[in-house]
Amino acid sequence: MIHKLALRNLLRNKRRSSLTSVIIVFAFSMMILFMGLSDGGHKAMIDIGVRMGLGHIIVQHDSYSDDPALQHLIAKPEQVIEQITQQYPTLTAVTRLRVDALIQAGRHGVALTISGVQPNKENQVSAIADQKAIIAGQTLPQFSQDQQMQRLGGIVIGETLAKNLEVRIGDTVTITAKPASGADLARSAFMVAGIFKTGLHEIDTFWAEVPLTSLQTLLEVPNSASQIALYSQANPETLAAITQQLTTALSDYDVQPWQTAAPELYSAVTLDAAGMYLLMLIVYVVVAVGILNTVLMSTFRRQKEFGMMIALGSRASTVSKVVLLEAVYLSAFSLSIGLALGLWGHYHFATEGLNFKEVFGTAMEAGGVLLPEKFYSILDTSKLTLSVLFVFLLTIIVTLIPAIRAGHRSPLAATQDA
Amino acid sequence: MIKLTKINKIFADKHQSFHCLKDIDLTINQGEFTVIAGPSGSGKSTLLNIMGMLDKPTSGNYQFDDNDVAKFSSNKLADIRRDKIGFVFQAYNLMPVLTALENTEMIMEFSGVSKKERKQRAIETLEAVGLGEFKNRFPAQLSGGQQQRVAVARAIAAKPLLVIADEPTANLDSQSTESLLDLMVSLNEKLGITFIFSSHDPRVIERAHRVIHLQDGKVMRDEQLENVTAGQPQAAMSS
Repeated sequence: MIHKLALRNLLRNKRRSSLTSVIIVFAFSMMILFMGLSDGGHKAMIDIGVRMGLGHIIVQHDSYSDDPALQHLIAKPEQVIEQITQQYPTLTAVTRLRVDALIQAGRHGVALTISGVQPNKENQVSAIADQKAIIAGQTLPQFSQDQQMQRLGGIVIGETLAKNLEVRIGDTVTITAKPASGADLARSAFMVAGIFKTGLHEIDTFWAEVPLTSLQTLLEVPNSASQIALYSQANPETLAAITQQLTTALSDYDVQPWQTAAPELYSAVTLDAAGMYLLMLIVYVVVAVGILNTVLMSTFRRQKEFGMMIALGSRASTVSKVVLLEAVYLSAFSLSIGLALGLWGHYHFATEGLNFKEVFGTAMEAGGVLLPEKFYSILDTSKLTLSVLFVFLLTIIVTLIPAIRAGHRSPLAATQDA
Repeated sequence: MIKLTKINKIFADKHQSFHCLKDIDLTINQGEFTVIAGPSGSGKSTLLNIMGMLDKPTSGNYQFDDNDVAKFSSNKLADIRRDKIGFVFQAYNLMPVLTALENTEMIMEFSGVSKKERKQRAIETLEAVGLGEFKNRFPAQLSGGQQQRVAVARAIAAKPLLVIADEPTANLDSQSTESLLDLMVSLNEKLGITFIFSSHDPRVIERAHRVIHLQDGKVMRDEQLENVTAGQPQAAMSS
């Protein structure tokens, strides 16, 4: 009967219950929607971020972070990679050599970062000069297969850099850098194989990629690398565990997760996640206030009824249960609808994606990363389950005091005028 | 069944106090059909509230079935009210969201009576008060007299020893009053349920076995009337 009492009491003031329910449904469904889009956005940010010359995990010489000189390179990187892939065969490893250099074409010269890459491997994990980013010419792997272009080593450069140097595909540029021997500056000519556009000013203006072996030769550092970048499909928790284990296994090296290697990206993701948590907090407050308002109004008007129940022999706990059940039913109903609507919205954005550029008219850059035009909603079921359970718990917590007070009404209230 | 000794009730706040009941000594025996009469403000309702364990006296001793009520916890008091006392309030006090049948079943549910049994007893009781065909109606769909009958049905369905009714006819027309009184007298005679009313309605007083006149918080007169049914209690202690 207490269930019947609770349900009918909710229906007693349909307008108040409906209004509370609508508020909770709206807030909760929006929370699910934003939770999915936020997590999807974060994944997109991280995915694109680690593909911008980074990696999920970076392995480098112990002193490279403090002093990125050619004296602090990884010697025989293939041995390190073998050690890593024996333990984690699912990881994709690429070797890179980076140096600050001068690129010249005719009367133009620009200081930039040259990245020596393994063309075929890099092309699978990088978004800087892959097929999608190349707006003119070829990627490095395509160029290396083109026998007619083999007079010189190939180089891919950013769109803005190409404009600044006034070069086109097939033009020759000269790279000047200080070799490891510390001798005079070393120079090498490269043919512009491709021009890429990432949308990121820093990369498009001050970045170029050449084959790893060409740069090793130029810098006189055969079989050495600045870093080994590792890529993984694992979830963040597994990735963190792998990083931890690698840190122990490769104690002579500096093993950094992307969060350390790209602090701006990590800050952007963390800041955005904080915004999401703030939204969740607002939703929790809305739900709590909505339920509390309904329960307070409802119990305030029923003092005489509670007194009557006590007078007739009901235990205080029974009266409290009725009030608690009202809140639980209202919350359960509203959350179910909110969950269904939120999941429906999530499904839409998980399959169709949210076209950021279409909605906001411009692509968005965050943490040094240009977000993809379209990203997809991703729901973390454990986070969602926790949210639902937390809201239930919150419902009980905010109702507890009014419920206890209702149960401790004096039976004399039954004899008083309403 | 009920023994009140030197019962006083004082209502007080920071500014004033009101001595509502003054040294009440009273014994009510099992099976009595008693009316507590008196003008408004004489303390009738307060006395009923104390006898019904809804309120506590400021001083004095209350024995119910030879037990000192002052020693009972609030849960024990609730259990006694649930199992031994039926209440009929002036304003009916039905649960508006429950039907007549559900209202009648409510106390039995509190007592843990099985669903089947309490439904059967509730239907029988509603039929006994002439509301069998209205059992599925909500209070708002019943007249004042019908609501009061449901309240009576609720009070007696759990088979209490004592029914306390605070001016049960105050809101009823003559026909409903007569019909309700017939029912209560019948229950008193057939089941031996003790009835204690508060009322200044002459139609109620003339049906009583015993009338306790209260004035300014004191028992002024305690009279046994002639319409005491054979087999009903004879004893009454005057104040």
